[in-house]
Amino acid sequence: MSDFEQNRAFWDRHSDEYQQTHREHIGRSEPRWGMWQLPESELKVLGDVAGKDILELGCGAAQWSILLAGLGARPVGVDNSERQLEHARDALAAAGLDFPLVHAPAETVPLPDASFDIVFADHGANRFADPYAWVPEAARLLRPGGLLAFSGSTPFEVMCWNEPADRMEPELHLDYFGMHRIEDSDGPVQFELPYGEWIRLFRANGFELEDLREIQPPPRAESTYRTAEETEWARNWPMEQIWIVRKKR
Amino acid sequence: MGAQLADGADLDRPQETMSHVDRNREAWTEFAPEFAELAPRAWGRDEFEWGVWNVPESELGALPDVAGMDTVELGCGTAYISAWLSRRGARPVGIDITPAQLETARRMQAEFGLDFPLLEASAEDVPLPDESFDLAISEYGASIWADPYRWIPEAARLLRPGGHVVFLVNGTIMILCSADEELPPGRELLRPYFGMHRFEWDGTGGIEFHLGYGDWIRLLRENGFAVENLIEIQPPPAGEPHRFPGLPDREWARRWPSEEIWVARKRS
Repeated sequence: MSDFEQNRAFWDRHSDEYQQTHREHIGRSEPRWGMWQLPESELKVLGDVAGKDILELGCGAAQWSILLAGLGARPVGVDNSERQLEHARDALAAAGLDFPLVHAPAETVPLPDASFDIVFADHGANRFADPYAWVPEAARLLRPGGLLAFSGSTPFEVMCWNEPADRMEPELHLDYFGMHRIEDSDGPVQFELPYGEWIRLFRANGFELEDLREIQPPPRAESTYRTAEETEWARNWPMEQIWIVRKKR
Repeated sequence: MGAQLADGADLDRPQETMSHVDRNREAWTEFAPEFAELAPRAWGRDEFEWGVWNVPESELGALPDVAGMDTVELGCGTAYISAWLSRRGARPVGIDITPAQLETARRMQAEFGLDFPLLEASAEDVPLPDESFDLAISEYGASIWADPYRWIPEAARLLRPGGHVVFLVNGTIMILCSADEELPPGRELLRPYFGMHRFEWDGTGGIEFHLGYGDWIRLLRENGFAVENLIEIQPPPAGEPHRFPGLPDREWARRWPSEEIWVARKRS
C-alpha cells in the first residue's frame, strides 16, 4: 500500500473520532492556527484574504475554509479522506455555503496551474504527504507572487519523541540527518524535514523564504491535541512551526 | 556603530552586549598561540575546507565563484579563508578585533607571499565604505563572537546589491545540548531554544551569540537579504578527529548538525 493510500485509510477510519474530539477546540468563530489555536488576527500569516482564491491542503471538515469564505475569500478544500470531506459537506450545508471540495492527495491535485493566490495548510496535508511531491504541486497551483503557508510539526518534536515511553522528552532520540518519512506502527505515515532541506526544497520550486514562525504557546495554553506536560515542553523548544514562502514573480 | 545605530534600529538591544568585544578580544588573545600553530597548515591548503570536519567547499558549494570579487572576512583570525579567496582571484580584506591574531595573519602573508589588507576592527562597526564588497564571509568568526543584531546590518551595509553573505555557525541543536565550552554535547537539551541569543559559557571568558532558525531568517530578511541556503554539515563517516574538547565527536555529528552555513544574498 502506498503512503497516500495508507494515510487515506487511516483518516477514513479516524475521521469521526477526530472531529468529535476536537470539534469545540477547532470550531471557533475566527481563524486560528495549530494545536493551541492561536488567532490569525495575531499571527497575521495569511494577511487580507478578501477576494482571493485560496486552496486548503488537507481541509478536514473545512473549519478554516468556511471562516475564510466568511471573510470574502474564494476557498477550495482538498482532502485525501472521503470521510473527512463528508464532515466538510455537512459543515458547508450548515453554514449555508457552497465552495468546491476535492477528494485528492496533496501530491496530485486535479486543479489547473496558477489558479490560486494562497495555498495553505494548518497541520494538514503537509504532515501526511511527501514534501518532495506536494511542495512542487503547491508551486504549480499558485500564481506568481502567491503565498504558501503551512503549520506543522518540527524537527525538534520528531527528534525528542520517546516512542517506547510514549512521551516528549528533553532529549534527542531520533537522528536529524535523513529526517523525512516517519513511520508509526499503527498511525499514519508522517513527514518532516531538516530546516536546510525545507529551504532548498522551497528555493528549488521557485519560492522565496519569508518567515519561519516557531510557535511558543502561552503558559498553560489549552489543547485537545497535547497534554499539559507536552505544552510545557513546547514552552522551551519548538513543537509547532509555520513556514511562510512566496512564489517568485 | 555607524548608520545602523544612528537610525535607531539597534537602540532596543540590551546594554549587556556592550562589553562582549573587550571580553572576546581578551579570550582570543589567550587562544592566539594555539591558532598560530594551526595557521601554516590552514594557509597551505590548496582547497578551502569548512569547519572542524574539513569538508571541502567543492562538496558543499556554499560560495559563489569568487574570482574578481571584493570580499570581506568578518572575524578573520589568522585569515586563512582570505588567503584562499585571494588565490582564487578575489580581492580580500580581513578584519578582526584581536591584534595577536592579525599578527599571525601578517606573518603568514609574508611566509606565503600573499598580500591583502588586514584591519583591526569589530564586525559590528567596520570602518569601510557602504556597498564596497561582493561577499561577506565568516567561519567561526564574527558569526559566533559578534552580536548578529549588529553585524548582519553591517554586512548588509558593506555589500553591493546582489552580494552574498556566507557564514558558518555552531549547530543550533548542538548549542542546546552543550553544558559548557570544555565538554562535548550529549543528547539532553540543557537549555531552552526560545530566547537564544547571548551565551556566556563556564570556563573560558568569551561571549558567543547563537540564534534560533526563525530568528536568523527574520534578521536576514529585515536587513534586505534573500535566504538562499542553510547547509547543515554532516562529516564523512571516517577521518581525523578534531582538537576541540567542546565540540562533539564524529558519531554525534553524523546524527545531529554540529555546524551550519547560512547563505543569503542582498536583494538588488
